[in-house]
Amino acid sequence: MSEPAIYLHGVVKRYGAFIALKDVSLSVDEGERVVICGPSGSGKSTLIRCINRLEVHSAGTIKVEGTELTDDDDAIREVRREVGMVFQDFNLFPHLSVLENCALPRIRVRGTPRAEAEQIARRELERMRIDNQADKFPDQLSGGQQQRVAIARALCMEPRIMLFDEPTSALDPEMVGEVLDAMVALAEGGMTMICVTHEMGFARSVADRVVFMADGRIVEQAPPDRFFDSPSAPETRRFLEQILGD
Amino acid sequence: MSDATLAPPPGDSRLAYLRRRLFSTWFDGIVTVVSGLALLWLITTVLSWALLDAVWSEENAEACKDAAGACWAVIDARGRLILFGLYPYEQHWRSALGCAIIIATMGLSCWPAMWGMWRLLGLWLAGFGSFVILLHGGVFGLEVVTSEQWGGLALTVFIFASVFVIGMPLAVVLALARRSNLPIISWMAAIFIDTVRSLPLLTILFAAAVVVPFVLPDWAQGTKLGRVIFGFALFYAAYQAEIIRAGIQSIPKGQEEAAQALGMTYRSTVLDIILPQAFRNTLPSTINQVVITFKETSIVTIIGFFEVTASASAAVGRGEWGAYYVEVYVFVALVYFIFVFGLSRYGAYLERRSRLSHV
Ligand SMILES: Nc1ncnc2c1ncn2[C@@H]1O[C@H](COP(=O)(O)OP(=O)(O)O)[C@@H](O)[C@H]1O
Ligand SMILES: [Mg+2]
Repeated sequence: MSEPAIYLHGVVKRYGAFIALKDVSLSVDEGERVVICGPSGSGKSTLIRCINRLEVHSAGTIKVEGTELTDDDDAIREVRREVGMVFQDFNLFPHLSVLENCALPRIRVRGTPRAEAEQIARRELERMRIDNQADKFPDQLSGGQQQRVAIARALCMEPRIMLFDEPTSALDPEMVGEVLDAMVALAEGGMTMICVTHEMGFARSVADRVVFMADGRIVEQAPPDRFFDSPSAPETRRFLEQILGD
Repeated sequence: MSDATLAPPPGDSRLAYLRRRLFSTWFDGIVTVVSGLALLWLITTVLSWALLDAVWSEENAEACKDAAGACWAVIDARGRLILFGLYPYEQHWRSALGCAIIIATMGLSCWPAMWGMWRLLGLWLAGFGSFVILLHGGVFGLEVVTSEQWGGLALTVFIFASVFVIGMPLAVVLALARRSNLPIISWMAAIFIDTVRSLPLLTILFAAAVVVPFVLPDWAQGTKLGRVIFGFALFYAAYQAEIIRAGIQSIPKGQEEAAQALGMTYRSTVLDIILPQAFRNTLPSTINQVVITFKETSIVTIIGFFEVTASASAAVGRGEWGAYYVEVYVFVALVYFIFVFGLSRYGAYLERRSRLSHV
């Protein structure tokens, strides 16, 4: 058996007296696509932010591609090079052009020569079908375009794992589709993905597994068919009724 | 006034537009006419004093006695004292050239093509190096002129440039230190910044000039000018650090997180992502602080340096030109205006430039 891409065991995250993650264990295989859903405040963001150490977990073990996350800065940087992240509100660098948003991190982190980094940036922008906007600045773009640039920026590092934290929640409804399409294309390319999202159509068609969280715990996880058609936990059923009910 | 618009609507002639803006009610009309007349009077008075009735160049003060206008002859006669202070008369070219070199160095570093750490470092080392060699001498057959004798515009410009070049990097370090996760570091930076900001500039300069020699061993004292510049730079840095800190705080947390998530180092996150945005967000207050610093250089007079305002009062202080101090101060004000206006235009250019790159 090969080692999982992501391995969490007994992970606890405390904010002072408040416990945001309570003994979470999760293992994601290479190439697997996992969708995480659950009510707001249930710890979804906290969980995936622990995976690239934007949050420091309080107890338990997290391993990414076999590297354990500790205080060791080199290990953290190594993990971050392999893990791309896409945020709800894009977080593009407003003072840099679209091309520079993609090329600069590559140059700084992997030491790639500028010409090659720009070539990679153009390639990834093309993959996200946004290469015609390469010379614009982020706030000249629509939300959907910005989010696709953000995905391209993460892909420029050639990560093995991608984390998405509600990538379509800040978008106008008519732009959700273009971002989901880009994510589907990425999934079809075999990328290991963890997506926090409430887009159940996306979960059904792309995910290998759906994880449901409530109150800082993983309540239930199952393949999408079983998850949607015959959820076992009452919390899951209530949640699904709420978001699919309309 | 409530229905007034800022731009003329299409089809409106310029004249009709002006009439509507300036004379829309009888009260507006009176205000317009009265302030227009006052402005006219002011302009004609100043112009006839400064230009029409002025005496431009005479060998002595006699010709000025009967003139109704300005006596610019005083600048002709005393200009070199104003511009060069106590610097030895035969060596004035050195002071002039040094001043030109510093101004050129400042001008060059305003040019975006020069914005790289190594380029700026090289430029300023060359600029300061040649300034000090020129003014101090002692090499290449130049006679030695100690910094106590430096003066006038060259001294003003040199102090300003040094304060900025030492103070700005220090301000960046202080601002970052104040945000440090290590409590001891942020605490020390905070104490330093707040202490310096609670002291008047004059106190700091006095301490640097007079007190420090009693405290430091001889080898660490440097020259009085060096100590004063360093004290001044600390003062500037404390204020600039708070400006930068405010700029950093105005950046959304997500920017730093995005950089971290991409695997960027702290150094790169700060230099490539945080500081450029912090400076862009605080450009107006930074330019403001720089302008204030330029004007405050005149305070070094009080601890015995003969910068341009001090040499100006010396120029009129005695004898035949004593009556024409207004002309001399207008001249000095003009010199300041050229610098400060240049700085604020440059600030406006930077703002336009940064807006172009993100609207
Ligand atoms: N920095 C923080 N300090 C204190 N509490 C936090 C912090 N970040 C998140 N939390 C709390 O942790 C819980 C889980 O948050 P989060 O992971 O963002 O939830 P989700 O993404 O599922 O909506 C919430 O109750 C939130 O208030
Ligand atoms: Mg969240």
